[in-house]
Amino acid sequence: MSFTIARTLDEALAALAAGARPIAGGTDLVVGARHGKAPLPADLVAIDRIPGLAEVTVTAAGITIGAAVSHHTLEGHPLIASTYSALADGSALVGSPATRHVGTLGGNIMNASPAMDTGAGLTVLGAEVELRAQAGSRRVTLADLWTAPGRTSARPDELCVAVHVPTPAPRSGSAYLRLEYRRAMEIAVVGAAAAVTLAPDGSVAAVRVALSAVAPTILSLGGLETLAGGSVNDVAAAVAAAASQQATPISDVRATDHYRRHTVGVMARRAVAAAARRAAGETIAIPVNRSIGIGAAS
Amino acid sequence: MSESISLRVNGIDYPVTIDQGRNLLSVIRTEVGLTGTKEGCDDCECGACMVLLDGQPINSCSYLAVQAQGREITTVEGVLQGDALHPLQRNLLEEGGVQCGFCTPGMIMSATALLQRTPAPTEEEVRIGLSGNLCRCTGYSKIVQAVQRTAAELADS
Amino acid sequence: MTVTETPRFVRADGPDKVTGSGRYTADLSLTGMLTAKFKYAGVAHGRITKLDTSAAKAIPGVFAVLTQADVPNVRFGPFVQDRTLFADGVVRFEAEIVAAVAAIDAATAQRAVDAIVVEYELLPVVNDAEAALAPDAPLVHPDWSSYGAARPMVRNRNDASFASIAKGDVEAGMAQADHVVRSRYVADGCHAAPIEPRAIVAQWEGDKVTIWSSTQVPFDARAGVCETLELPANRVRIIVPHLGGGFGGKCGFHQEAHVAALARAARRPVRLVFSRREEFLAPDKRREGITYEFETGVRNDGTITARRVKMVLDNGAYTSDAGFFSQIGAMHGLGPYRIPNLLAEAHLVYTNHQPSGSVRAPTAPQSCWALESHTDEVARAIGIDPVEFRRRNAVDTGAEGPSGQLYGEIGVQQCIAEAARLAGYGQTLPADEAIGLAIGWWPSFSVPSGAYVKIDGDGSGQIITGAQECGTGSVMTLRQLAADEVGLRAEDFQLVYQDTSVAPYDMGATGSQTLFNNGRAVVAAAAQVAEQLRQLAANRLEADPADIVLADGRAHVAGTPDRSVTIAKLAAIAAGGELLIGHGSGAPPEAPALVGSTCVGNVGMAAWVAPQFSCHAVRVKLDRDTGVVRVLHVAAAHDSGTIINPLAAEGQVQGAVIMGIGQALTEGTTYDDAGHQRNAALLEYKLQTCADVPPMAVHFVQINTPNAGPRGAKGLAEAPNVATAAAISNALAQLVGQPVRQLPMTAERVWNAMNATGAQGGAA
Ligand SMILES: Cc1cc2nc3c(=O)[nH]c(=O)nc-3n(C[C@H](O)[C@H](O)[C@H](O)COP(=O)(O)OP(=O)(O)OC[C@H]3O[C@@H](n4cnc5c(N)ncnc54)[C@H](O)[C@@H]3O)c2cc1C
Ligand code: FES
Ligand code: FES
Repeated sequence: MSFTIARTLDEALAALAAGARPIAGGTDLVVGARHGKAPLPADLVAIDRIPGLAEVTVTAAGITIGAAVSHHTLEGHPLIASTYSALADGSALVGSPATRHVGTLGGNIMNASPAMDTGAGLTVLGAEVELRAQAGSRRVTLADLWTAPGRTSARPDELCVAVHVPTPAPRSGSAYLRLEYRRAMEIAVVGAAAAVTLAPDGSVAAVRVALSAVAPTILSLGGLETLAGGSVNDVAAAVAAAASQQATPISDVRATDHYRRHTVGVMARRAVAAAARRAAGETIAIPVNRSIGIGAAS
Repeated sequence: MSESISLRVNGIDYPVTIDQGRNLLSVIRTEVGLTGTKEGCDDCECGACMVLLDGQPINSCSYLAVQAQGREITTVEGVLQGDALHPLQRNLLEEGGVQCGFCTPGMIMSATALLQRTPAPTEEEVRIGLSGNLCRCTGYSKIVQAVQRTAAELADS
Repeated sequence: MTVTETPRFVRADGPDKVTGSGRYTADLSLTGMLTAKFKYAGVAHGRITKLDTSAAKAIPGVFAVLTQADVPNVRFGPFVQDRTLFADGVVRFEAEIVAAVAAIDAATAQRAVDAIVVEYELLPVVNDAEAALAPDAPLVHPDWSSYGAARPMVRNRNDASFASIAKGDVEAGMAQADHVVRSRYVADGCHAAPIEPRAIVAQWEGDKVTIWSSTQVPFDARAGVCETLELPANRVRIIVPHLGGGFGGKCGFHQEAHVAALARAARRPVRLVFSRREEFLAPDKRREGITYEFETGVRNDGTITARRVKMVLDNGAYTSDAGFFSQIGAMHGLGPYRIPNLLAEAHLVYTNHQPSGSVRAPTAPQSCWALESHTDEVARAIGIDPVEFRRRNAVDTGAEGPSGQLYGEIGVQQCIAEAARLAGYGQTLPADEAIGLAIGWWPSFSVPSGAYVKIDGDGSGQIITGAQECGTGSVMTLRQLAADEVGLRAEDFQLVYQDTSVAPYDMGATGSQTLFNNGRAVVAAAAQVAEQLRQLAANRLEADPADIVLADGRAHVAGTPDRSVTIAKLAAIAAGGELLIGHGSGAPPEAPALVGSTCVGNVGMAAWVAPQFSCHAVRVKLDRDTGVVRVLHVAAAHDSGTIINPLAAEGQVQGAVIMGIGQALTEGTTYDDAGHQRNAALLEYKLQTCADVPPMAVHFVQINTPNAGPRGAKGLAEAPNVATAAAISNALAQLVGQPVRQLPMTAERVWNAMNATGAQGGAA
């Protein structure tokens, strides 16, 4: 048993090389252990105090988000809210204010839960993850990263140091919604993110959609290229059908597979609609779940 | 394996020797000896264990004590202003926001953090700000009123 | 820590609670204290073929391991003596206690629990109360007929308590009807879920044991310890530190005897603290699941001619305090209506589930949900507005209730009018919104209770009462009653309570009875002190005691306020002579007579002293694509008699309504095929959060109730939990096109109901 608080990235990487597991906010790791899901790893290295790892940087290609950036930072970040909205929508839904203060983007991604709330948004935004080991670093797409529930293709000595998200094309917008039974402290029954780029005539030039909690990993909807040129309504309807069709949900205590299959279509349709409104320049406050529809403040 | 560390709680440094897997809540309640912070669940869902870590709310039940080294921990016992009640504590009582009181310490910590980052919260902001703290007794409304009244009072002073 | 400035009006225990200095049971620790843990069955029904604790006992740091072999062989239970402290050869629900361990710390105790070897021959799991009534159903208690039971109980095989209420001629009544409406509803069980999980600390000194317990009913807990460990009452002292909520979940006798037995065997103080998971699984207090079959005959002019209702209640594995649920359930199945011909039959049926028990207005919220949903179906069948239908058919002052009780002044009609008004009933709403309304009722419980009141030499007062505070503030309100009696301020009194060896008996924080009964006792005790004060003042002021007025901290002669003396002065005089001490109990009001009805299985729950009435009107919004429901506004009107402490009363209603919303939409226990709870965690058993709470309008109809408690008060803690889910259901039915027939009305069930074609009666 050992617990190290890394002060530098090199210290953290050395600890990983020696077999330690990273802990950021611990909101998955410690809660899982407490709840009896998985015992706490014997050797831990805390990565929440490494300088630079909790920063959001604007680059020529887009935005780079350090792995230790908290959900609280993401939900309130003006650029992320305006331009990478689906990510902010997802972060704003995570747990409670306390969970959002300590819970990190890196932890959310590397925990690899299919019900995670940032995954679908990052997927439609085309994000890539930067993994670093002592030997060097590499970038992987999210599709390559998540392999199964709770599993990634990262090696044990690799630390997720950052997430790179490219600048969206002009006239683009994105949104993430989830089905929830209460307005807070929920876990996605199903969720859907959409990124929409509008053509000058208001039709849909491009659409990407990803779903949470309906497959072993975040599910990126395929076959949407053919929808280009359609109206927002038509595209949303087609996406809803595709989502229900491509989803492979399970039945559990939260919902049956039947209900999930239906509602993920609803979420997908709404995500497309909200993303299109944002693409058209409308401001829908973060998160969409609490701004419009049944979850809006009354 | 046990480790000797120092935790700073309500401005006082406490040397403690603890197992690395121990959560902050149990160390605060046992080694530090402050029982105002409560334990209400084992799945990080109730918020009774809320404390502040460098001013930000955390669920101490699900935070490793060793990870809190070098940070400023504030519990409900650290909220009094000298011997006087903090306006939030007084308002919770005057508005009827306390019944069994088991959620109260956690509520106070969440509300304190909320008022610090959002000094004039809307009702919706208060509701979201307190959404990680379950209360089974009050129905929340009087707690929300107490927080809003406190915000107004602090703005006036 | 001392707090220098006390706020304007606060509950006496308030400063302790906001500063964190107040101690709850889990906060206590005693020198040498051990940690207790239980070995639970893990299976819902099985015969123990092997139970070996030797490996557990051999672990260093383990001080005691107990099983049924180590405690007196006593069967207990308030209604049916069907239970032993530890499993006696057979386990009947998943969290039945098989063994208990006391060890040096939690980790050691857990290792010991894991080291206990138990093997079972699995028995068929009785997972469905209705099926358990079948003549060939496997028996949960094959020896049921040899168990002792309270005399009026009607029992037969898995039916642990049958009750019926009959009046008039149902067949004839149905024959007079223009329409007969039949419906079936199913309510899942749910939980009290107080935020404080239960905790117990026990310590022996010589042959006496002190038990600190998070119980709502310390005297009941004491009785249970005395019965099962065969001890006289004066050797068992139960003290309740601050109690972190109960809602009935901490009623009855629970694990106090287990912990006391461990402490005796270990010769050390022992503490038990439940995890949240245990709090879901192990207490024998869960709100009972119930199925309902209704049949109501109604004429086109809106009069009800007859009603028949059959209810099957899930008792769980043991009959804790649920023995009266069949009769009180039958009352709720009939409802506060004028019905000439009726028959209600209710069966409380053993299953291999967690035992049911008194959770906040037991049987009432779910039965109100079912009956009031049915009532809207009846109103619709004849095309009468549901509010108008209730106005015509609900009981009223002077009317006769279903069990043949003739009502004095009651406020149900005023409740209907007020709730409808506050909700804006009849307003035009968006297409995805509707307002539903429901009426509910609940008795006041008239039981013995006692208190002492004293005023010390410095003029400060103390109330020493057996009453138990669980957060409702009712004990806090006792100060006002005593103060008014002797002319002091509420703040001049301190409370000593929740200690069975110090104060006289009280039933505890259950049945919303504190103010009703202990209020009476405190007034009687304070009246004795007031009498002493008047005598002293009369001597000093040379007046007739009958002319002495006690007010504002002084005693004065009526009509001449300047002929006066301070009560502090009188207290100082008394301190040198006959001390100012009063004791009181007062005669509990008697139950009203029932006329013209026949009650089988009569445990006294069909005649209600000072009944309380309520009407809730709720506006909801439905997401038609998903079935997700949001409550937008709640109007709650209550006839709970005189409201002595408005702030606390409003808080009770708000809290109960939010609990009701949870019960309506998100709170329900589901079982797997093996009889295990599937959602024994707060993440999956969803309480309403602060973000979910709608605006609320609360109104108290304060009328002059005959036979009520002090100053015309009735109870209040339970009544506001009754009608919320029902009102939500009636709003939802308008949007869905038919009622959602299973409680909780989860999003998926709502969605299924919307998509069911002409489904009638089935449960999704
Ligand atoms: C009450 C509660 C509610 C929640 N609600 C939601 C919700 O609504 N939506 C949601 O998506 N999640 C939710 N979560 C889960 C959790 O909060 C998030 O997944 C969070 O982002 C995890 O971040 P963390 O820093 O706390 O992760 P940690 O627990 O510290 O780590 C999680 C995992 O990732 C690994 N890890 C962490 N950082 C790195 C890194 N940089 N590189 C490599 N591996 C790493 C750890 O080893 C561990 O295996 C909730 C949790 C709680 C307790
Ligand atoms: S104890 Fe419930 S959230 Fe920490
Ligand atoms: S006051 Fe009891 S849980 Fe909030």
